[in-house]
Amino acid sequence: MNPALRAATRLLPLLLLALVFGVSAGHDWAGPARLARAWEGGADLSTRLLLEWRLPRVLAAGIVGALLGLGGAIYQGVFRNPLAEPYLLGSAGGAAIGATVALLVPLGLPSSLILGGLSFAGAWGATLLVLAVAICAGARDAAGLLLAGVAVAAMLGAVRSFLMLALSDESVSLQVVLSWTLGGIQTPTWSGLAWLAGLSGLAAALSMTLAHGLDLLGLGDGQAEAFGLDTDRFVARAILIGSAIVALAVAYGGLVAFVGLTAPHIARWWIGPRHRGLLPVSAALGAILVMVCDGLARAALPPAEIPLGLVTAAAGGPFFLLLLRRRIRT
Amino acid sequence: MSRLRAENLVVTAGSRRLLEAVSVDLEPGALVGLIGPNGAGKSTLLRCLAGFRRPDQGVVTLDGVPLTDLPIRERGRRIGYLPQSFQPTWDYTIREIVELGASRRPGAALCIPEMLRDHELSDLAERRWSQVSGGERARALLAATLIAEPVILLADEPGASLDIGHRFDLMRRMRAYARHNIVVVILHDIERAALDCDRLLLLDRGAIVLDDAATTVAVASDLDRVFGLRFERGSLSETADAHLISKRAS
Repeated sequence: MNPALRAATRLLPLLLLALVFGVSAGHDWAGPARLARAWEGGADLSTRLLLEWRLPRVLAAGIVGALLGLGGAIYQGVFRNPLAEPYLLGSAGGAAIGATVALLVPLGLPSSLILGGLSFAGAWGATLLVLAVAICAGARDAAGLLLAGVAVAAMLGAVRSFLMLALSDESVSLQVVLSWTLGGIQTPTWSGLAWLAGLSGLAAALSMTLAHGLDLLGLGDGQAEAFGLDTDRFVARAILIGSAIVALAVAYGGLVAFVGLTAPHIARWWIGPRHRGLLPVSAALGAILVMVCDGLARAALPPAEIPLGLVTAAAGGPFFLLLLRRRIRT
Repeated sequence: MSRLRAENLVVTAGSRRLLEAVSVDLEPGALVGLIGPNGAGKSTLLRCLAGFRRPDQGVVTLDGVPLTDLPIRERGRRIGYLPQSFQPTWDYTIREIVELGASRRPGAALCIPEMLRDHELSDLAERRWSQVSGGERARALLAATLIAEPVILLADEPGASLDIGHRFDLMRRMRAYARHNIVVVILHDIERAALDCDRLLLLDRGAIVLDDAATTVAVASDLDRVFGLRFERGSLSETADAHLISKRAS
């Protein structure tokens, strides 16, 4: 059987298990009996809370994780580096500026809308800026893009720090900004979730159009061109799509660390480097990781909630090291 | 019949001229060797012929159409290029490498089993790049390049890292391909170039010094001058142990 299909048959039950774990986990754990009542449409308050509050959040966590897995796989493919991560081209700094403005400046709009909108605009805008800088400087190769990313990220970091200092006072705490940068899934309304799912479906479809080009790019610039790939145009298109995917994830989940780095790496180790299989498997692994970590973030220290990014980094790091060790041994 | 033509190519890098008014006309039916000392401009000329490098002056045309007017996809389908060294970023299997090569031509995927068999790769198809030898890699890259049936094959010292047996095998395959296609290969081994090629282009300091039948170039005094060596000529036959033995000119 095709390795990607074999992986899919194992991933589907894992996805389901992660979903059930996510819905069960919280400062009040939902046991099998309560889950069964919810499944049958029970009308009591705690059951309704599971369906109307926790389930959409877990689904949103899964989608954010899938987006990060996809974004990470695209970035690693574009930069041909297993250590590339989705926030590489300034999207973290741009998103943080958007979030800082949304959280510290009273703009008279619903905060959920303005936070998501500005962080998306910041993340995508920053990557577009990096792309424009690299093209204007005539440095379209991976090294040129990375250097442009480093320069833009440094500038955005300075702008963000200035904004935080200028906009905060006794009435506005910087902690809310800090908390956002550590990642966390907002509980969406069902209509908000439908939007997220629709946009993510579109993003996934667009990312699959990159699969063959990413495979060719993996042969190296020269050979990719010899095999008929217009590498400059393809890299720009892949970055536009990849950064939109990452911006969408950031808008709904803040800066969730490590998932975009780990998921594609595990996927490649599991099914090989061909992106037609790697992209969906990486997305599924990202979804599983974030659903489980979001559950842990809610359940570990009740009634407090640990920022999601801390849990993904704390749980993902050792797991990643274990995999690396196993890989080196084999 | 395809025709690849370079007219008055000039390529500069800073103040240095890499190619100086180079013109060459190539047609199928002859294995063409590109020889010359290091820095003579062989790789630059080959990259211009492949369309990877745009000359500062002059034009390369394929059947009368400038390469710059051909979409990269179309160019990739019609021109096969074998680099001097090739190391993919990801550890693809041999089959995956050949599949990626096949993606250039519709229907080529159907020929993958036959191509793997022809290049003695059937048993290695599922092995990863890191698990095969240099000779097997060279055959895999040749299979991936030829599966799209390019009308032009350009090879930049493809046997550089191979032992003599594998190098001989690679040249045999390219000779066979040259019967009906344009094949240009950069070679550092002058003896093999004189034995295997039908036509040789001798480059020196960015210019073509000699463009003639391999047997003629092998006995030309320009060869000694360009390389700064005195070659002792033996018999030009496949059975001769060595037909060119180099000695220091001084």
